[in-house]
Amino acid sequence: MRTYVVRRALNGLLVLWLVSIVIFSLVRILPGDAVIMQLDQAAAPTPEILSRARQELGLERPFLAQYRTWITGAVHGDLGRSLITRRPVTNELLKRINLTSHLAVMSIIVALLIALPIGVLSAVKQDTASDYVARFFAVLGLSLPDFWLATVVITFLAIWVQWIPPIGFAPLWEDPARCLGQLLIPALIIGARLAAVSMRMTRSSLLEVLHQDYIRTARAKGARERAVIVRHALKNAFIPVVTVIGQQFSVLLGGTVIVEFIFLQPGVGSLMLDAVLLRDYTLIQGAVLFFATVIVVTNLLVDLSYAWLDPRIRYR
Amino acid sequence: MKAVLSSLTCHIALIVLAWHPSAAAAQEKAATQGDAPGFAYAAPAFIKELDTRFPAQPPMPPSPPRYGGVLHFPATVRAFDPTAGYRPELALVWDTLTEWEATWYFPEVQRTPVIRKTLATSWEMVTPSTWIFKLRQGVKFHNRPPVNGREMTAEDVKYSYELLKDKAQYSTRAALVKAIQVVDKYTVKFELSMPDPKFYLNVVDSLSPVIVPREAVEAPGGLAENPIGTGAFMLKEFAPGEGALLVRNPSYYLKDHDGRQLPYVDAVRLFFTKDPATDTALFRARQLDVMRVSTLDVLYALMKTVPDMQLYRVPSFGWGDYGVSMALDKTPYNDVRVRQALSMAINREVVAEVINRGDAALYGPFPWALAGYTKRADYTYANLGPNYEYSAKKAKELLAAAGYPNGFDMELEWAEFQGWTFNEFVQLVARFFGDVGVRVKLKQLETSTWIAKAAGVQPFPHTLAAFSPIGAGPSFMDWVYLRYHSSFPRTINREGISDPKLDDLLTTWRLDPGEKRPALQRAIWDHLRKNVYRITTIVPPHYRIAQAYVHAGANPYCWFPGYCSYEAKTAWMTEKAPSRKFEKFAQ
Repeated sequence: MRTYVVRRALNGLLVLWLVSIVIFSLVRILPGDAVIMQLDQAAAPTPEILSRARQELGLERPFLAQYRTWITGAVHGDLGRSLITRRPVTNELLKRINLTSHLAVMSIIVALLIALPIGVLSAVKQDTASDYVARFFAVLGLSLPDFWLATVVITFLAIWVQWIPPIGFAPLWEDPARCLGQLLIPALIIGARLAAVSMRMTRSSLLEVLHQDYIRTARAKGARERAVIVRHALKNAFIPVVTVIGQQFSVLLGGTVIVEFIFLQPGVGSLMLDAVLLRDYTLIQGAVLFFATVIVVTNLLVDLSYAWLDPRIRYR
Repeated sequence: MKAVLSSLTCHIALIVLAWHPSAAAAQEKAATQGDAPGFAYAAPAFIKELDTRFPAQPPMPPSPPRYGGVLHFPATVRAFDPTAGYRPELALVWDTLTEWEATWYFPEVQRTPVIRKTLATSWEMVTPSTWIFKLRQGVKFHNRPPVNGREMTAEDVKYSYELLKDKAQYSTRAALVKAIQVVDKYTVKFELSMPDPKFYLNVVDSLSPVIVPREAVEAPGGLAENPIGTGAFMLKEFAPGEGALLVRNPSYYLKDHDGRQLPYVDAVRLFFTKDPATDTALFRARQLDVMRVSTLDVLYALMKTVPDMQLYRVPSFGWGDYGVSMALDKTPYNDVRVRQALSMAINREVVAEVINRGDAALYGPFPWALAGYTKRADYTYANLGPNYEYSAKKAKELLAAAGYPNGFDMELEWAEFQGWTFNEFVQLVARFFGDVGVRVKLKQLETSTWIAKAAGVQPFPHTLAAFSPIGAGPSFMDWVYLRYHSSFPRTINREGISDPKLDDLLTTWRLDPGEKRPALQRAIWDHLRKNVYRITTIVPPHYRIAQAYVHAGANPYCWFPGYCSYEAKTAWMTEKAPSRKFEKFAQ
């Protein structure tokens, strides 16, 4: 087990180093730069002034010198300063991650609350009316783009109720009512889509498990159906579900750009999009490196959770 | 993506309205009663109703103004720091030497814009290259450490100009300043790098250097951490990506015409919105008080659900036009007949119909008002000339005369850009050019690449769909001299226009003390409309809407998200305004 974890951690470090090189190179291949992207339409600077502005931001230094400065800082926990706001990238990221993690956790909870009972019901009552209804809604959930749903919801709320979720993030521990008021509707929109994926996964996985020999054995021994499903089938059926949820959580932490835009929830998604649009190199690099780390760690944790869910799994 | 979202939003809003019971009732009512308060959405009828119900000049607000309230605006601020970049919202915290009165913009007064004397109270031209500005006495910086409310003096003006004059954002105006000297505590002298008898127009509004205190710039974190100015509001909280809260500066030096202390409102809350759907939803929910609407469709949708809102609908001075820039140093665009033919090939009526359902004005080489056309009725083909009137037949003849009887191949580059619908525009242009034999290959660029090309940093091989290079205010220097004189690089003169006769006209204009300037400006207009160095088509009007409980002078800059916030200095809210707290941003 320990050897496995160490090996995976070293692999993860290698991945992160490669990511740092790739992202550092890619952002510099993009046309335009932070100086150009910040110009007002009425501005009319000379090329010399633009060049001076680039020098101030360190954009005219040799590529390797820029990389060395950045990666050395990153190793020491300093991801540099945003080229646009001039604030430390770490601070910018941490603020947004706070909101995004709230939204991600709430969305996952919403998704699980919907997906698990319906998925189980759909599998247990396979090919009945309730199964068909559940599957219909799952396909509907997958088909509706979240930007469409979010636009419709915010427009309907504004017209009929003259209310929209409040703007201005307050963490759950500071102002629970405001936090829920702000994030519940976006979480429902994101969660509905995730629920569709998770529900289908729960259903198919549980169906597969329910046809296993050990389930038949349990039933032959006279175990009650409820006990068979809850005690023997569900736990094993959850392995692919946990994998999907883990992946979805990683994706959510990377940001839900459209929903963030529409509900003015400044999470990581909108931060990243802004950074790309404005060519804020240090912010893009820092954010990508951070999320690569999150994904590496999440994947490791998901893999480790398999052994807890299924004791037959061993790590070498 | 924003443009796609915007389009989707519009369609969704219209679908929603179609379902809305009151909307359906209003449509039915409008169909039976010509003067009913609702609108039937046939664009021409709607435009006509707008003309009569919402004349360009907004009604005078009842007096006296009421103190209190918290104004909500949409905005786009990434850093509350003028040294990091320019944004109009920064004018709430930092002042320039002078600024535009909010009322100058209406067509009938466009030629006589009114300057509000903020930090400077008078100016004098010693020679066209030397100017003296007298500063207002007793102006205090915000009472916060490390500045602690000390008086603003000539040393601050000198320091600020020297700090900002080489910054890319301010260089349009400030690069003209060669040196600045402190004459005494309240007097500064500007030495210019080239003579300009109208230099005082170059210190107006926040694209000119704002006045900042040295202590705040040099303190840890700079102005971003110490946002201290002399402005009407003090930054209380800045939440990147979300918004900002600004509270009234109790020591603000300006008073209104009746001697009442400005500003009237207690605070301003800015929301950094990014999507039109959010803006309209916030306005409907009375979370936004003043905003700009980009299209007639969205305006119609909003009017259905917020029937008591106020609309200031004014012809654009020149911001927001649709045009095509050409690579003038290459064939066939270096031939004036080809440029004239391409301009004539475009039916501008159809462009106006497609871009904004017909609610748009013709646009020429530069703003109408700068050529002396100050009334909306002046915006005609007669005043633009034959090169702007649609005639496929004449266009083909000109192309044949230029040696292209079978047309030629053209690449037209474009991109999605917030606030414009270039997608529809380039398809129309391609169709019109195709009709006269010019085979257009449309090439969509990534927005950043397009911005680099529109800013003159990267060349375009053939043509580029873009708005015209603009000025920050109504200054001829900004709009015309800088943009057309051959002595400026492509980052200023985008197309690289090099025309000795035009240069002579522009130089004569610059050196003229003022008497001959109107005639010279008209002569430059005539020269440009004949030579068609840039194909211009139409410019939609500005729709600036406000809740019924807000009284604010319509601002010229309310044509792009964020610019409306400028109005907060003189806006006031009636007792019907929602009660809002302002202890912190998230309330």
